[in-house]
Amino acid sequence: MNDTEIIEKAKALLGDAILEASNPALRRIFLTVDPKDLVRTVEVLKKELGFAYVATISGLDSGENFEIIYHFGKPSSQLNLRTRVPKSNPHIESICAVIPGAILYERELQDMFGLVVDLIPDSRRLVLPDDWPAGNYPLRKDWKYERPVEKIPGGKS
Amino acid sequence: MLEKVVRWSRKKSPWILHLNSGACNACDIEVVAALTPRFDVERLGVLLKATPRHADVIISTGPVTRQIKDRIIRIYEQTPDPKFVIAVGACAMSGCVYRGAYNIMGGLDQVIPVNIYVPGCPARPDAILDGVVKLLGTL
Repeated sequence: MNDTEIIEKAKALLGDAILEASNPALRRIFLTVDPKDLVRTVEVLKKELGFAYVATISGLDSGENFEIIYHFGKPSSQLNLRTRVPKSNPHIESICAVIPGAILYERELQDMFGLVVDLIPDSRRLVLPDDWPAGNYPLRKDWKYERPVEKIPGGKS
Repeated sequence: MLEKVVRWSRKKSPWILHLNSGACNACDIEVVAALTPRFDVERLGVLLKATPRHADVIISTGPVTRQIKDRIIRIYEQTPDPKFVIAVGACAMSGCVYRGAYNIMGGLDQVIPVNIYVPGCPARPDAILDGVVKLLGTL
């Protein structure tokens, strides 16, 4: 199945759920969906199109929205599934029901972006330190970090 | 007289603890390489110990992450007196490329007192050995 056939089949199976579809390079497909169609799309991608492997989930802070990109792969092609959620109400549904291994990436999204992943089986903190103050999300663009003043043993010379 | 014997025994058997406080593993490999027969550190009485309770010298690599800060202080407190700390590598000295990141406290000296700094990225086994010998020279 080549790139155009994959896009055609995805459009046939999902209909209006796919907002944008593009094929910027060989073996690389971009799809954009609405957050409410996300789990259904992932299910179709896994069961009908063979994209059963999520390489990673990346987040992008684009000012007013968070863009969440699910990187799917299979030996013959790569597929990026994009979805946008507003920063004022950052809720996204977990895809763990379809792909259980995605939980690590979803927990990391929660830590680093402050997204709320609904229906996640285990929402403990993953990457940030235990004493990290709540409400600080390091990968948000509007987050400022002030590093502690460094002590110089013996003083400056 | 007794003091002399104590100082002699300290000089002749610095048992070390190898501590990784968030290093990229390059310095750790060099520390392990320094312990091989090629450099033969046992002629100086250096012995790798698995627990801080048996160690005299803490050889620490890597920048101090926020997560490990409290653990490092605990390990330092568990080590019996007199204790010495050697910071191996550029990261343990100042934080290096990780300096200023949100989860990094900086160099090792931000958390515990350091006796000897060994520069290098990673530090060569010879340099680490030189650091240990320089430490022994101060005793």
